[in-house]
Amino acid sequence: MLIQQIGNGVFLGAVYALFACGYALVFGVLDILNLAHAAIYMSAAFIALALAGAGVPLLLAIVLAIIAAGLLGILLDRVAFAPLRRRNAGTLAPLISSIGVAIMIQGIARAFFGSDDQPFPSGTFATAQLQIGSLRLGVVDVTVLGVAIAMMLALSSVLRFTSLGRSIRAVAADRIAAALLGIDVERTIALTFFIASALGGAAGVLIGLEFNSVSVDMGARIELKGLAIIVLGGMGSVTGAVVGALLLGCVETLSVAYISSGYRDAISFGVMFLVLVLRPTGLFGRRSLRAA
Amino acid sequence: MYGGSLLRLSLFSSRLGVFTVAAIVAGLSAALASNGALAAGTAVKIGVIADVSGSAAAYGMSQKNAYALATEDLKTGKLDAGTASVTFDVEDSASDPAQVVTLTQAFTNNGAALLVGPTLSAEAKKADPIAVAAGLTILATSNTAQGITSLGPCVFRDSLAEEQVVPETVAKIAGTWKPKTAAIIYGDDNQFTKTDYEIFAKALAEHHITVVDVETYHTGDVDFRAQLTKIAGAKPDLLVVGALVDEAVKIVAQAAAAGVNAHIVGGNGLNSPKFIQLAGRSAEGVVVGAAYYAGDPSPVNAGFVQRYEHDFGIAPDQFAAQAYAAAEVIARLAHDGATSSAAFCSGLKSVHVATVLGPLSFDATHDASAPSDVMIVSKGRFTLLK
Amino acid sequence: MLAFFAQYSKLVDQAGINALLALSLSLSLRAGHLALAQAAFMGIAAYVGSIGAVDLHWTLLESTFAGALAAGIAAAILALPVARLRGIFLAIATIGFGEIARVVEINAPITDGAEGFSDIPNDAGTLAIYAALLATVAALFLLGRSKWALAIAATREDENAARGCGIDVGLVRTTTLVSGAVIAGVAGVLYAHANFFITPGDFGFPRMEQILVYCVIGGVTSSTGAVMGAAVMTALPETIRFLHDYREVTTGALLLAIIILAPGGLAQLWRRHA
Repeated sequence: MLIQQIGNGVFLGAVYALFACGYALVFGVLDILNLAHAAIYMSAAFIALALAGAGVPLLLAIVLAIIAAGLLGILLDRVAFAPLRRRNAGTLAPLISSIGVAIMIQGIARAFFGSDDQPFPSGTFATAQLQIGSLRLGVVDVTVLGVAIAMMLALSSVLRFTSLGRSIRAVAADRIAAALLGIDVERTIALTFFIASALGGAAGVLIGLEFNSVSVDMGARIELKGLAIIVLGGMGSVTGAVVGALLLGCVETLSVAYISSGYRDAISFGVMFLVLVLRPTGLFGRRSLRAA
Repeated sequence: MYGGSLLRLSLFSSRLGVFTVAAIVAGLSAALASNGALAAGTAVKIGVIADVSGSAAAYGMSQKNAYALATEDLKTGKLDAGTASVTFDVEDSASDPAQVVTLTQAFTNNGAALLVGPTLSAEAKKADPIAVAAGLTILATSNTAQGITSLGPCVFRDSLAEEQVVPETVAKIAGTWKPKTAAIIYGDDNQFTKTDYEIFAKALAEHHITVVDVETYHTGDVDFRAQLTKIAGAKPDLLVVGALVDEAVKIVAQAAAAGVNAHIVGGNGLNSPKFIQLAGRSAEGVVVGAAYYAGDPSPVNAGFVQRYEHDFGIAPDQFAAQAYAAAEVIARLAHDGATSSAAFCSGLKSVHVATVLGPLSFDATHDASAPSDVMIVSKGRFTLLK
Repeated sequence: MLAFFAQYSKLVDQAGINALLALSLSLSLRAGHLALAQAAFMGIAAYVGSIGAVDLHWTLLESTFAGALAAGIAAAILALPVARLRGIFLAIATIGFGEIARVVEINAPITDGAEGFSDIPNDAGTLAIYAALLATVAALFLLGRSKWALAIAATREDENAARGCGIDVGLVRTTTLVSGAVIAGVAGVLYAHANFFITPGDFGFPRMEQILVYCVIGGVTSSTGAVMGAAVMTALPETIRFLHDYREVTTGALLLAIIILAPGGLAQLWRRHA
């Protein structure tokens, strides 16, 4: 059972990781905790659902939903964060701003889609199972894991090898110096939000597919877990977010398996608390963004 | 030095305070005025509080639909209230207990003869005492926790409590499949699912079925593999699912993949067409003990199901049925002349109505006295378990 | 006016309790600390007070005292590990504390967990709530006149400079956290005694977000702002009831509008026009 449970933990962690990357990216670059990230995660899932329901082939629907999420992220920045940046409004104001946008997005989604859990149209994907040794895997789970890893590798390459990546890291390190060096800061920030929100949106679509359910409230639970993950991994570090997510996925799964499912959340947050207290920079963090 | 700023502080804060209070009073008075006065004569106003939005919206929406249908049926004569003109004033409490409290207080003041609702037991425990203190009779249609009808002398409910349904369900399963062991998975942060667990545990013990594993989850969870893998390791004959629809669907869908080879049984929470729709093939063979059987061929129910599907595009679930049954009872009492809260209270004590739930009346503790149904999902539909 | 009160006295009570909660958070915010554990303190006090009232037959006064004390002690204990945390880290740690508290409340047998704790004597009326509110406002007013207010403001503006001036920043943090917790504790007990019934879900992250919104809408750095924010947001669902399905969107839009156009909250808006 141990291997199966670790496997479960890894699958759980993979999608957490995709979600947490977006959080970590925005925090690393802007020192902002974007509480609307979970709302974008949820919106992407609904967009994919709506497109698939309208007959768009699944793969295309997913890609379009992820792009839509990215655009939503740019819009979020324009509306909720940019005006505050111009004013140097500190850390509390953007937090509240993001809460406002999150509530609005939820309200709109609820008006359009209702409050029920909604499934993808039947026959959308295969439900086959694989067996490797004593490990039982679903085809969907493996696909999700694969896509998550691919996206995170892509992010890592962008950050490390492209000029956009360099701009992002520069803005994260010192916004004013970056501007002085001729980097278009606002454009870099907009692109950062695009990438972060696209990743969050991808997480939403993948989770929606993996568990075949999309609902307006799906963001709430993962939002707090996302916080625990970036603390564990180190705020602002994308590698940290990934490692932290996998770690948390396993901690949660193993604590259910060997301790008690009732205290699962307490253990997760307890671990987070401990890390914050003993090593506030987390496993990998420095306050500034590090290349993955 | 402080004196001047103190004066300024108290001046503008008092102006500020007055302004704010004035704005709020104006807004609330407008809301109060819009509630409207009660028409004289045989008009009967029924106050309905339902969570039409928010986390419990799936249930509140069904309830709102049922009252919309009931209103339509009153007009076309399918529901007969005699010479009385019954109106359902459905208010959305947005799954917020604070709003339930405020709405309850509002209904005690604006001429409602009966309060129907609220949707959740936790809300009822906070708000019902207010109605009780004001002498407003309450008819709940979806509160299944313990201690609801004991909140006052005129608190009734037409929703069968789990403790009325589960023992019969377990008895039937014990007879049919003769299981020796069982595992239970339930939501530990929700009143309904937790009560479900306790009642199932008790019923299993009474039939000498050993509980080999108990797992919990939290509302909103989507991944149950950890718990299900552990349960699979304990190899139970029976898996009891104490859950509401959203989580039940995922538990059932993930159970087979996790290696659980057991008969699955659940309570009221699974009694919804959505359960079958979302769980698909994994719902086959799941036993559900519930208070409403949508396939009941009686003319009252068949007509209701058909009209509901026509109006709302989906078959009615238990919440809709229980709400509609309340409307049927109210129509009967209004027909027989009840217009005040006291009249409804005494009327409910002795009423017998053939409703979509079956023949319905209220017992000595003001709980529903109606048949319960043990159903099994067979070929994509709920059918009665023989 | 009497008819208004008969119809809305419960709403008025809620506004009073929410005002207390907003005030408790505003203390930490005034010191520049994003300590988001108010809902947890409220919950701890609510349970201590309720269990005492039901099982030990405490009076309202005894419940309130015990609840506030429990909240204060919890805050003092929490202050130790989070002493070195700043900004968002502090926020996340305190949110985590809140989640842990909620899970303990769900699982501890003495609280009846998710089934909720019932039969709490309903002896906290409008008088009791507003007496507590008035007392708190008065206490904060006196605080505003003392040297403590300067220390708190200095800590918010620049912690290092404040330390350089000889202000014990750690003491300021702990004191604002503990006194805020005590106020939240009083609010928690009153909440329990006004509502007959409490569940752990009443004191989780959504409640914390609500309290934060009260403070921000009203204006983070003043008592008046906190009270106003609480009053407006408590009444909002009722005043916009005519919007039906669009209430949620409107609330979010309002929040966004205030933070973008008037970040100092309603208090700032008034000052501009005063």
